[in-house]
Amino acid sequence: MLETLGLMGNGFINALYPVNILAMCAGVTIGIVIGCLPGLSAAMGVALLLPMTFSMEASTGMIMLGAIYCGAIFGGSISAILIHTPGTPASAATAIEGYEMTKKGQAGKALGTACIASFFGGLLSCISLYFFAPLLGQLAMKFGSPEYFWLSIFGLTIIAGVSSKSMVKGLMSGALGLLLSTIGMDPMQGVKRFMFGQSSLYEGINVTCALIGLFSMSQALSLAEAKIKQRARATQFNDRMMLTKEEFKTIAPTIGRSWIIGNLVGILPGAGASIACFMGYNTARQFSKHKELFGHGSYEGVAGSEAANNAVTGGSLIPMLTLGIPGESVTAVLMGGLIIQGLTPGPNLFVGETAQMTYTFFAGFVLIQFFMLGIGLLGCRGFANISRLSDAILIPAVTILCVVGSFAIHQNFVDVVIMMIFGVIGWLARKFGLNNAAIVLALILGPIGEKGLRRSLLLSNGDPRILFSTPICWVLVALCVIGILSPVIMDKFAGKAEKEE
Amino acid sequence: MKKFVIALLVILLALMSVSAYAWAPKKNVTVIVAYKAGSGTDNTARVLSKYATEKIGKTLVIQNLEGGSGSIGWTALSHARHDGNTIGFVNLPTLCSNIVEGLGDYKIDDFIPICNHVNETSLVLVGKDSPFNTLGELVAFAKDNPGKLKASTNGMKASNHIGSELLAKSAGFTYMAIPYGGTADQLLALRQKEVDFSVAKEADIAAIMSEVKILGVFAEQRMPSLPDVPTLGELGYYDKWYGSARAIVAPKGTSKDAIEFYEAAFKAAMEDPEYIAAAEKAGVTTAYMNAEDTAKLINQQYDFCVNEVAKLWE
Repeated sequence: MLETLGLMGNGFINALYPVNILAMCAGVTIGIVIGCLPGLSAAMGVALLLPMTFSMEASTGMIMLGAIYCGAIFGGSISAILIHTPGTPASAATAIEGYEMTKKGQAGKALGTACIASFFGGLLSCISLYFFAPLLGQLAMKFGSPEYFWLSIFGLTIIAGVSSKSMVKGLMSGALGLLLSTIGMDPMQGVKRFMFGQSSLYEGINVTCALIGLFSMSQALSLAEAKIKQRARATQFNDRMMLTKEEFKTIAPTIGRSWIIGNLVGILPGAGASIACFMGYNTARQFSKHKELFGHGSYEGVAGSEAANNAVTGGSLIPMLTLGIPGESVTAVLMGGLIIQGLTPGPNLFVGETAQMTYTFFAGFVLIQFFMLGIGLLGCRGFANISRLSDAILIPAVTILCVVGSFAIHQNFVDVVIMMIFGVIGWLARKFGLNNAAIVLALILGPIGEKGLRRSLLLSNGDPRILFSTPICWVLVALCVIGILSPVIMDKFAGKAEKEE
Repeated sequence: MKKFVIALLVILLALMSVSAYAWAPKKNVTVIVAYKAGSGTDNTARVLSKYATEKIGKTLVIQNLEGGSGSIGWTALSHARHDGNTIGFVNLPTLCSNIVEGLGDYKIDDFIPICNHVNETSLVLVGKDSPFNTLGELVAFAKDNPGKLKASTNGMKASNHIGSELLAKSAGFTYMAIPYGGTADQLLALRQKEVDFSVAKEADIAAIMSEVKILGVFAEQRMPSLPDVPTLGELGYYDKWYGSARAIVAPKGTSKDAIEFYEAAFKAAMEDPEYIAAAEKAGVTTAYMNAEDTAKLINQQYDFCVNEVAKLWE
């Protein structure tokens, strides 16, 4: 115990070396810029800068990559709030409320909320990184195929929550997303499905392309359409970014809930920040005292989403560091960085000489959050200029970013075509009142659920009882039921409360 | 005058370094890697590129073109300009099985071998709590209980599925292959006891060595790093080497001079003590082969895919 405390203290001393401070500042700034550019995801940013860290000390390199990761996850919220275009998939849910707030002239408050929620989400996630890393890693190890099936079903029940207006249209959107998720090579038999001879569809539709199309390109199309009908109004914001004590008190419980959700989702392999933001958002909505604000610019919604996605960062490091299982694409890249430094992920990162480096990285991860808060709050005004741009500049700029971003993923033109197709799908979906977020959610969760179900049944020779074979399965089943019924139950409670008043 | 002499010396030196080979790249070299940044292939490629840059005299820029089980990157490589400024890493036998399966529009002779970089031998694994302590026990159980044992693979007809099929066919038992999306998930399933055994490559298990038992190696001789583990051949099963290799190739049409230049440069890089230390740290099993031997390896792997692998699925 005393030894561990010594390691922790040493870690902080090492992390405060000027070179590490420099790595944090540079990493966070680069991360935020990458994050707020639509199409440049956190994974891409970390991967692009990975080679830069080869010549650095292991701890400095990891701190820099961690800073880019955290910065990018927060940075995604800036463009989500200001131009309704999540800079990274992790901010997809932030776009819902954040952009509504911008339309109401509360862009500053939305950005402040996002920054503060990200800070606390990230900072709190460090607690689990420090204390529960080995323990929580073991829980994730127990997730087998049946558990993954239920995890994806649980995720899909969120669709009922994200599509508040019409459940039927929400389910239609989800079904469309599930259908699109079947494109590509069948995960079990290797049969080509709906590929039409395109080898680039072999691994399915690239979710990043689909996201850019559904959220960004369709937005540009809608903007262009509105421009023809009416003059676009320039979004101005002069409101304070800092939250009042009252406002902070309102979002504090939301941050707490999102922290737990984000942390758990981060720890579970396969589920990343893009799912956590929706779960955090949905939970914030269910527990909110001001449900009427949701869909019309609720800062609780922004906080729920942003605290959850930043809480993923610390959580996702846990299985990667303790078990060598990356929880999502960014940590996969981080693991590559670790291995290049000659460090093998696993329990041995916590003993001997390597423990020194691990705890320096942990301490760095704590300090990164403070830099993110500082740079985020100070720099937001600069980024806010994006939203003040007139539509005449914004539409082509968004289009260019969409094209460049989707091309940059694989340097492949097919991705641009896919992005454009999804842009049109997203634009039509908006017109028909379908829900783009539900489409994306189903697109991400579909393959996880399909693999989980089919693999489970293969393992059990077709006996469906395997799906209820472990206590974790039952817990997840219960969560699914709660997830499905929650909108109904919540509506009832809300109705009752109104009547009593 | 002094400046003039220095300038002359610089020019002379430049000429000398160029004249050592008939060919040298005039701009940065693009290196295509058909897997994601951070993947195993990418990591090993980056380690080598770092040390090869010095020998080549230009920066090696890694371009990750992942997807389609490697076919997207290799299609790009086969269509790249053959001016010597684009080279790439190919994974064997995946490149060959892609061609046999009809992924991508390239053929085996669309690539000119430069040299081999890495060789990884496949291993038969069980979890550390498995009741099987030897491969013989596992095979005996499998024969008594046909179709009962389950093996995780990294995908339908993927490299590690081929490995477990080779074992099963040569030992004469039936089992159930459960495809997992990739090697990480495949090995997780083994550690979670969702499956009974698995075939994977040596570098894949470096991080989980303490959680698995290695029952056999797909090699002709015992491996120096695993002297107590028998080869499959010793036990009377599949008696040839099986694993994966990563070779460096150039697109068809690249000049002979360029190939020879890269062959020498990569050889020097792989012999660099600093590279050797870095590769050891990263768990890379370097296995340099010259262009001629690499060509033989590629052809042998192609034959293997056409003749042996195709038979496995019948």
